Amino acid sequence: MGDILTNIVQGFSVALTPMNVLLLLLGAFIGMVVGIIPGFGASAAIAILLPLTLSLDPTGAIIMLAGIYYGSQYGGGTTSILINTPGDSAAVATTFDGYPMTMQGKAGKALITQAIASFVGGTVGVILIFSFAPMFAKVALKFGPPEYFMLMMMGMLTLVWMTDDSKLKGFISAFLGLAIATVGVDVISGTQRYTFGSPELINGISFIPVTIGLFGLGELFYRIYAGSHKDDRLEKLDLSLANKNTWPKMKELLAAKFTFLRGSVIGFVTGVLPGAGATIASFFSYTIEKKISKEPQEFGKGHLPGLIAPETANNGATSGAMVPLLTLGIPGSASTAILLGAFLMYGLQPGPLLMIEKPDFAWGIISSMYLGNVILLVINIVAIPVFLMIVKLPYRFLIPVIIALCLIGTFSLNSSLIEIWILLIFGIVGFFMKLYGYSPAALVLALVLGPLAENTLRQSLIMSEQGMAIFLTRPVSLLFLMLIVVIVVYPYVKKLFIPRHTA
Amino acid sequence: MKKLRSLLIFTLIAILLAACSNTSDTSEKAEASGGEYPKKTLNVVIPFGPGGGTDLYLRKIMEIMQKEKIYTENIKIENREGGSGAVGWGFLVTKKGDPYYVAPTSGSFFTTPLVSNTSFTYESFTPIALMGADDLFLLVKEDAKYNTLEEFIEAAKSGKRMKIGGVGQVSDEMIVPNLLAKEAGFEFDYVPFQGAGELTGALLSDSLDAIVGNPARSLGQIKGGLMKPLAFSGMERLPEMEDVPTYTELGYDVNLSQPRGIILAGDVDQEVQDWWIDAMKKVSETEEWKSYLKDNGMSEYLLFGDDFATFLEETNTKFKNSLEDTDN
Repeated sequence: MGDILTNIVQGFSVALTPMNVLLLLLGAFIGMVVGIIPGFGASAAIAILLPLTLSLDPTGAIIMLAGIYYGSQYGGGTTSILINTPGDSAAVATTFDGYPMTMQGKAGKALITQAIASFVGGTVGVILIFSFAPMFAKVALKFGPPEYFMLMMMGMLTLVWMTDDSKLKGFISAFLGLAIATVGVDVISGTQRYTFGSPELINGISFIPVTIGLFGLGELFYRIYAGSHKDDRLEKLDLSLANKNTWPKMKELLAAKFTFLRGSVIGFVTGVLPGAGATIASFFSYTIEKKISKEPQEFGKGHLPGLIAPETANNGATSGAMVPLLTLGIPGSASTAILLGAFLMYGLQPGPLLMIEKPDFAWGIISSMYLGNVILLVINIVAIPVFLMIVKLPYRFLIPVIIALCLIGTFSLNSSLIEIWILLIFGIVGFFMKLYGYSPAALVLALVLGPLAENTLRQSLIMSEQGMAIFLTRPVSLLFLMLIVVIVVYPYVKKLFIPRHTA
Repeated sequence: MKKLRSLLIFTLIAILLAACSNTSDTSEKAEASGGEYPKKTLNVVIPFGPGGGTDLYLRKIMEIMQKEKIYTENIKIENREGGSGAVGWGFLVTKKGDPYYVAPTSGSFFTTPLVSNTSFTYESFTPIALMGADDLFLLVKEDAKYNTLEEFIEAAKSGKRMKIGGVGQVSDEMIVPNLLAKEAGFEFDYVPFQGAGELTGALLSDSLDAIVGNPARSLGQIKGGLMKPLAFSGMERLPEMEDVPTYTELGYDVNLSQPRGIILAGDVDQEVQDWWIDAMKKVSETEEWKSYLKDNGMSEYLLFGDDFATFLEETNTKFKNSLEDTDN
């Protein structure tokens, strides 16, 4: 316990210098803004700003860059809620209940809840780092390809849960996602698949234009088709912060206290595992919450816990991802990989000694993350009236803005025209999916999980001397496997033994 | 009120557009570059994402060039990533004859044209200099039974089929263990990974017997007691890890580096090429460059002009041969 206190005191003494607070403010603000722009995410922003930070001292620079990283998770959900367009893939699950709330005129409540959920997720994450970072680092060291494969299988299971309403359409959507995931260089054999000789397709179809197309443009086309752009109901709502109805009720938040906690911890643990990341964390959290909820039928219709679960999780995950980065020198996501590059640039050697040799640096950053979350909560709530103007905007003005944002966000990523086409094509695909009740979320999740599952399966099989047996001989992998079996079999067993007493 | 709102939106779009417009390229035709080179903005084309090894060293060179006033005009750095370098170098090919475009070299500089239909090969550009090299350690987990390369090879020969991991299937990280296996006469399974993070995690979770890794990303973990190096693929030992022998010392002809070089677009004037060779010599002599090499665990390996061209050809042959070997 004494150690933790020393760490905290040391950390805050670094984080609280005026220069570092200023850099933190800047980083958090930039992060939030780039999080809001669909497609333009944290990794791109960190990468662009990295060279500009060279004149700063390493701690200050990393404080700012880390601020961009977790700040973007706050912003990412904003557009999910307002215009059904996730700022990045980690915010896809936020659309499930966030956007319906906007449609019901509860955008203000959704945004405030999202900010609180992000704050709780980020803060719980930081507390977990302070107290248990070395322990969680050990967890990460138990995960090799077989364990990741099992984790991906769990992810696929959440797909099944997600598509409760129409399994067939859900599976078709997921298989479409898996099919899209096969495009590009096959990591294991090095051969190209379905690239048709185009160098731009060598790295595959990025999920960013697909996600923005399916959700953002798809929803837009659908609303025009449904004629809801003529509906001026939302314009007349009183959404100001002064209105009591804009704020979530204390009672509602307290009722969801375990949702906050579960989401944060699920997010953090998933974030610790290199490669799993915030996207998977948010889906996990959402589906688990829906599964154990007493009112699962409310999910997807603007249910508050359905918004809290993914938002706590994706922010918890960004804190979690800092654990292997700081304690082992292993980056767990695209953004932390760039942060690792920044460490190297400043002559900091990422590895187990970083926290021992440069404790003021490591704990300073972690402390600044705590401050950062407080700052972001404030910025977010203050900025909400600005965001709410978007909701009240007549749809005929909003449409061109959303389209421009989607196009700019996509193009800014790789300056690739092919990705613009992908965006437009998936916009049309998204429209038809929505029209006929298919699941764009299942498609996106499959697109994210597909390559990870494929690679880890094939890596495991190369490593294994007895084929599939490798999944049984490794304890953690076996544990996951048993868990999956229980989850799959349990409902059937329950049906057999417990007589149905309700309809 | 409505007017104000639409004004606000337009301003927002304008700002966004302005923010994005600096990535659009200004393709100016090359002008006569006699005498007073340089007199225009330099375009640095990096075919990979920011923050990676290739990106970092080229940015460092540009930083030194500006600090030391070697390049007096503006320098614009652009990451054109995609297709394992195909996009970036493919773009440089279109700038033939233009003396204001430079790019780095890396392992993919050779492998990408060898495995896919690109518009360029290593010969399509004007070679300037090799500024250093990234070599690879062979790493095992700290608690592994083997302490030397000999013990490792011994175990590999006596029945244990080693699983060695590296980043990428068509990469220097795949070729180095292949060269070693061929030289030492053992068989193994290569397990390709997409990134260094997953790779290190796989070794540490007892999923692999060994991995290859460059010093920049593994020195911290070696010193932190997570893994131990058995051998180094450089021409000489790395000063920071003096007790790790090179393959060559141990009698295995294994050395293939990730060449950290610099090239211009094809067909630029001899004078421009000479100007750049001279400039790179100046950069390589600065303390800043030397300490950069040291801090990042890169081997100091300098070659200029024709020597660099010969080196490129030799390296290409090595890559080509090992790729053909592994295809069978």
